Amino acid sequence: MNWSFVLSNATTLACIYGTLAIGISLTWSSLGLVNMAFGFIFALSGYGAWLASLNISAQPAVVMAAGILTGAFGGLIVCLLAFIPIHDKPNFPLRALIATLAISLIGNQALLWYFGPRAKSLPKLFGNWNADIFGVIVTSDKLGASASAIVLLTLILLWMRSSRRGLEIRAMMMNPHAASIVGIGVRRTGFYVMALTGSLAGLASVLLAQTYYVAPFSGITPMVKGLSIALVGGLGSVPGAVIGAVIIGLNEALTSTLLGGQYVLITQFLLIILVLLVRPRGIAGLLDKAREA
Amino acid sequence: MTDVAQPVWIDPTDCHYPEHPAREAATNPYLPHQVTWNETRAFKPAMHPVGRLRYYYKWPGHGGRVWWRKRYWPTRRRVLQIRGEYNPKTMRREKTIVDKRPIWWTLAFIAMILAPAVVPAAGWNTVMSAAAVFGIYAAINLCWMLIIGTAGIFSLASYAVVGAAAYGTTYLAIQLGLPWWLLPLIGALIGLAFGLIIGLPAMRLDGFYYALLTLGVVELCRVYVVQSREFGSATGGLYGAPSYLPANLGQMPRLLFSYYAALALMAFALVVYRFIDGKRLGRVLRMAPEKREAFAQACGVDFVRARIMVFLISSTALGLIGGFYACHFGGASPNLFSFDTVLLSLAMLVIGGIGRSEGAVAGTAIVVFIDRVLIDLGPLRYMLIGAIMLGVVLFLREGLFGIKRQFRTWRDKKKSERRAARAEKGGEMLPEEATETEDKDLIYFRRFDKMQRDFLKRLVTETVIEEHRTRPLGQHSEALERLLIYFRRQGQVDKYAIMVLEEFRAYRIVALSGHRGTAPRVVEDRNYASPDEAYHALFLRRVQDLLES
Repeated sequence: MNWSFVLSNATTLACIYGTLAIGISLTWSSLGLVNMAFGFIFALSGYGAWLASLNISAQPAVVMAAGILTGAFGGLIVCLLAFIPIHDKPNFPLRALIATLAISLIGNQALLWYFGPRAKSLPKLFGNWNADIFGVIVTSDKLGASASAIVLLTLILLWMRSSRRGLEIRAMMMNPHAASIVGIGVRRTGFYVMALTGSLAGLASVLLAQTYYVAPFSGITPMVKGLSIALVGGLGSVPGAVIGAVIIGLNEALTSTLLGGQYVLITQFLLIILVLLVRPRGIAGLLDKAREA
Repeated sequence: MTDVAQPVWIDPTDCHYPEHPAREAATNPYLPHQVTWNETRAFKPAMHPVGRLRYYYKWPGHGGRVWWRKRYWPTRRRVLQIRGEYNPKTMRREKTIVDKRPIWWTLAFIAMILAPAVVPAAGWNTVMSAAAVFGIYAAINLCWMLIIGTAGIFSLASYAVVGAAAYGTTYLAIQLGLPWWLLPLIGALIGLAFGLIIGLPAMRLDGFYYALLTLGVVELCRVYVVQSREFGSATGGLYGAPSYLPANLGQMPRLLFSYYAALALMAFALVVYRFIDGKRLGRVLRMAPEKREAFAQACGVDFVRARIMVFLISSTALGLIGGFYACHFGGASPNLFSFDTVLLSLAMLVIGGIGRSEGAVAGTAIVVFIDRVLIDLGPLRYMLIGAIMLGVVLFLREGLFGIKRQFRTWRDKKKSERRAARAEKGGEMLPEEATETEDKDLIYFRRFDKMQRDFLKRLVTETVIEEHRTRPLGQHSEALERLLIYFRRQGQVDKYAIMVLEEFRAYRIVALSGHRGTAPRVVEDRNYASPDEAYHALFLRRVQDLLES
């Protein structure tokens, strides 16, 4: 039983899943849209990063920027197709859910059609070295992934906190109706939010591709994990998403060490159901403040 | 009719002087009276194609015989809902079929039963196996539609129930050597147990939280099945369940038999749908649509219990279908749990329209046709399905079968926009009012009156008023005479009268209210010295009323 190994694994997973969960949570709370095309954006930005590493340069910065930009582009596509046309029509949440599912179906099949079923691997962004931190051996990709996720997330949260656009997005999260009354454009904010969350998916995709591969359907499992973390944390709450990511990451690392890899999802869902039975809106969600789009 | 070129007048007396050329002069064009008449009488208002039409076919009514009212035995429903009414024009009895869906269902069933006869021999295998898959998927989708549409629980885990039942029954059949007819029953038990497990959180979670959770449950099942050794991680599925097909059957009769079995399964699911959605449970739930649940609860509708009941019943039915699935395909594959299966079957529900059984069946037919028959398209066919789904979600409110209602809503909106855009009304009836007015004479009278007033307004000129001022009584010009005749015969806004305050000294105009015992109302604070002046003032008032109307 290597506690340090468990801890480092848990941190890395928590960082990556937290990125995804914050993206999902932001979309839901500001736009009222459950973005089921998140997995597609994830896979798309993986391919974007792969193409950039082949055609432009294999520099880590270039690859990561390409992934993030492709993710933002995917987010804009989803916004154009599933948010702008129907956000003021009746029964929006359900229709948006189905529309994003349709986008995900089309997009994943298009990726499969264009790139073929074989998985691609990205170049190692963070080199191949080990670091010894207080006696814990940490590999380069884990350290790099956690560090870049934490840095970029902090930057984004600072931007959300201090900038004009961030203020608009936060206003939409609090009360979309009132925000539109005081002149915050719903469609424009929708573009910002979707580009932002798409770039978060792109970041997570590039980081996760350090350990896994890029494949047409590689986005679905991370998306389901991100969704469940957002659920546990409480949809719409950034600190909740972080707490949920830490809990789920810890659970995953512990379960795979103690019981074995095939029990990860089972314990995870038992945990989620338990949490949701106690607190139906998640850890940081408030019961009477569910978003009614 | 009118001669556009300016006619030339030739002096007729010039024939006496043939040495001179005839004198000519340009004259006014000749305008026949018919033109003026037609122009006046022409129907000028722009008529838009609006108004309510009933598109029901009216069947002839009975003679002396009492109506035939056959009812389904355990229910008190009739085979067809027929409304009887009298035609007000012919005073004959007529029958109208209010709801024609039973007819369409019957025709569709006849078509499905006869369908194998028209399948070309070249594609027999593909089409018939696709048709059997259609029957099974339609049954699953009907039960799922009960959960999503009737109960309003947005569960994505119905394929997880089917898959669990299929895997469980196959496993038990392999271990215990069960006969095929026991599999659906065991499947139903498994489905009930599964429904109990995943139905519990549904009581506390709502809408999307539950949808996301069930999506996770499906993923969990998939990963478990793919990884576990006893459920065939090595072979990619668990196979070896007994089949319901007789052993000594050729290829073609086999497919035919399995098609009819799947059709029977679909009929069973339809019966389940009908008996939940159309009965007390479904009605209770449809009375409490989303966001009015608290109100329904306060009124004593126990919709939570009804929801759970519907969920459990349809989970049981889904388990039964899972058992059937196991003996149809001889086992189960992890494909049942894949994200794509959930997506495709959601596409089936969405394309047909959520909340209606015909939507589930028609959507399944469309998607299964694209998915299983047009195999040559490759991944393109999924993109086609996705595009249809996206189009339906973006443009239609309730899927294909909601198009009619959506179109009517749109038409009514356009109608009211047109009505609002029409500036001029003037006593005339709008088409919508006209169709709802029993006395059609009234419509024509109003229109005639409007035309007449429009004409008379043009006659009011300075000269006419001056003429009336100088000669209120006596010989009048035609224009003034027409005006006066109209005023004499027409109902007035105010019934004016001239009151004599003092003979030959003071006259005043009053209006009579028409109610007995009410004193006449003084219209203006002015006395007139002679009857003629009062007469003229009254005329001016009436002219003013006319111009204002």
